[in-house]
Amino acid sequence: MGRYFFRRVVQTIPLMLIISILVFLFIHMIPGDPARTLAGKDAEVSEVEAIREELGLNDNIFVQYFKYMGRIFKGDFGQSYKSGIPTTQLIGQRMQNTIKLVLSAMLWAPLLGILLGVISAVNRGRFLDHLLMFIAILGLSAPGFWLGLMGIQIFAVQLGYLPVSGLNGWKGLILPSFVMGIGCMAEMARYARSSMLDVMREDYVRTARAKGQVERKVIFFHAFRNALIQIVTILGLQIGGLLSGSVLTETVFSIPGIGRLLVDSIFFRDYPVIQALLMLFAFQYVVINLIVDVLYGFINPKIRLE
Amino acid sequence: MKHMKKLVTGLLSLVMLLMLVSTPTMAEAKSEDNDLVVALQADATNLDPHVSGNGISNLMTLTMYETLIYFDENLELQPRLAESWEMSDDGMEYTFKLREGVKFSDGEPFNAEACIANYERGKNDETLRVHSRMKAIADMEAVDEYTIKITLEKADNTFLNKFSQVTFVSPKAIEELGKEGLAKESAGTGPFILKERVDGGYTKMVRNENYWGEGPEIDSLTFQVVPEDGARIAMLKTGEADIIYPVPPTHVEQLEGADDINIKNMEGLVYRYVTLNNNYTLEDGRQPLSDVRVRQAMNWAFDSEAYCKVVFQGYATAPNSVFAGPVPYHADQEPYTKDLEKAKELMKEAGYEDGFDIDIWCDNTTIEMKGAEFVKQQLAEININVNLQAMESTTIADMTSEPAESTKVQMWYVNWMSGSYEADGSMRNILHSEYFPPKGYNTAFWVNKDFDKALDDALVEPDTDKVAELYATAQSIAWEECPWMFLGVDNSIFAEHTYVSGVVYMPGGHMDFTHAVLDH
Repeated sequence: MGRYFFRRVVQTIPLMLIISILVFLFIHMIPGDPARTLAGKDAEVSEVEAIREELGLNDNIFVQYFKYMGRIFKGDFGQSYKSGIPTTQLIGQRMQNTIKLVLSAMLWAPLLGILLGVISAVNRGRFLDHLLMFIAILGLSAPGFWLGLMGIQIFAVQLGYLPVSGLNGWKGLILPSFVMGIGCMAEMARYARSSMLDVMREDYVRTARAKGQVERKVIFFHAFRNALIQIVTILGLQIGGLLSGSVLTETVFSIPGIGRLLVDSIFFRDYPVIQALLMLFAFQYVVINLIVDVLYGFINPKIRLE
Repeated sequence: MKHMKKLVTGLLSLVMLLMLVSTPTMAEAKSEDNDLVVALQADATNLDPHVSGNGISNLMTLTMYETLIYFDENLELQPRLAESWEMSDDGMEYTFKLREGVKFSDGEPFNAEACIANYERGKNDETLRVHSRMKAIADMEAVDEYTIKITLEKADNTFLNKFSQVTFVSPKAIEELGKEGLAKESAGTGPFILKERVDGGYTKMVRNENYWGEGPEIDSLTFQVVPEDGARIAMLKTGEADIIYPVPPTHVEQLEGADDINIKNMEGLVYRYVTLNNNYTLEDGRQPLSDVRVRQAMNWAFDSEAYCKVVFQGYATAPNSVFAGPVPYHADQEPYTKDLEKAKELMKEAGYEDGFDIDIWCDNTTIEMKGAEFVKQQLAEININVNLQAMESTTIADMTSEPAESTKVQMWYVNWMSGSYEADGSMRNILHSEYFPPKGYNTAFWVNKDFDKALDDALVEPDTDKVAELYATAQSIAWEECPWMFLGVDNSIFAEHTYVSGVVYMPGGHMDFTHAVLDH
């Protein structure tokens, strides 16, 4: 287990290096000049040039890359071109908000989703199944942006129960958490349902029933545990998606998180911030995948990590 | 399927019920606290006032830092950290008498020496935005502790405009905090002091208790970043924000009925136009836009009144010159009111009766695309087939800064405003023939030596009457020659709660909070 873990961590190093090169090349290939954006439209050519020089943008792209990587190994991810704040500090500040947002959604969405999925599967073909899947499809297809604005209109403007902006205490998190979690819940419900249905057709479930086990036990100990493997995989992907895809929720509820930071940075061509964020997102997926793999072993001891 | 139907009906009724039981928020005549919250669409880039220079950054930094002189809401110059100023007859020297007894928030005295320290910072560092506002200055010297004399490189009638944008930072802070420190901490003479800031979130300022003038009554001032238009409106309605800016024209209607909200609809400064690249060459080698008749025809074919109504819901004015009305030295021209017959005739004379194909570039925001779409539709009436290409703004800025030889721009739907309220700044960078990209944004690649001369002569002319005459000439040449399609000037729309008073709203989106009062 320990060895496996170590090997996986070591494997991520070349992966991250490749990602860093790709990201660096891609962001420098997008047309647009951060120096010009910084200097403003009425700036003189010499001023733009001075800024470009200061930011080191006049160097050859490979030189820029090696300089950048050299600094990274010293723990220096550079400063935001736009705000002058060190990238790590900026991302740290924003990350807190996004994590808060993701956690607030993760507290209920996957659990509820899985529960609905299992109930649906158990009641396959009945009214309850239709109802729950209808809700799931609704949750999947309602655009988050629209849901958020409707939520604001009803619960903040009309009823006055909740604040519009998501920065003010736990109350402010309710609507964002709902918008953030609804898609995840729906997705989980659908996956949980289909994997439960798959599993319930398996021989061992039939055997369990034939042995005269109570239906509740069959569903819980025999079917659900095996269905969990698929569910956890999807859940891992979902969390990764939420961490990097929170931009809509953050925009609607005016939350300064990393999703909005990424979009703003791309518009500004704030290279150090884009680079750091994209690498962070990639790293996030790697870590989450690793956790999921480790979880497999717990869920089903027959899956050996070695 | 039957279940589904029942379900949909059930859900819909639930939503209706929710809407019914909901009660509209009560009109509150009073604020709950003495903290003014302003919701803005975007954040400042940097709070060091010498580093940043865009509108929102200025809006925030000017609450903490002050200038020697400033433009009031009628766009007239007034003294602030200066008590008075005078210009020498040749326009080469300016002497400012400074206000005495003013201190920076870090306790440092404001005096001639402090001014010089700021001048030196700006002059020596080209990466600072303040540099371009100071580049006309050849020398600044202290006559005595409270008098400075500025000598210019050459006479420049825009000097005071540019200088009105130069803020003064405590010399000690310049030295000790530098760029990095000043992004987090303020050290100005202004009515507010920076308390805390979350980049992309909010910036909170508190009252400067030692302000030299009549200070603010409010305890604090917070700028909150609310990018989504609908959320900004909602925050004003719920009272989470006391002032919002901008109010998109499409959303004004939602606020009009509310009796606890005032809409401040100010004449704007943002001038919208389409540049017509004179060098654009068709496949058969002809250059339609090099013919003034074609360019005029495009303007005669364009209904700017309708444009203001369709794109800006009427919150815009049709243009009557090449820059916005409130800017000093604006001279009214005879408007191009839509005349399709005239337009068709001009096209025929020029040999383009059958029109031609052309691309228009615009930003990919909803309102810009709507505007460009309107242009396309209007030009179709004189057989010009416009192909709309919407792109992200930074990409366009890059593509339009290509020089004449390599540029691909044909028509560019764009806007311009002079943040320092200059006639020169409203025209030079985008119309003067020395300002082809990448030096400037004359993407019409329009050359008119008489126009250039009028602009250049005006710049060094000390007599304001003559300046006015020269700028009028320049405007009339450009208006006649049509390097652009002239579209309109959209308003700056703010909204505030009725319990807010004393905020000064300026054309162009600036606000002064010094005397803001919240009835609470």
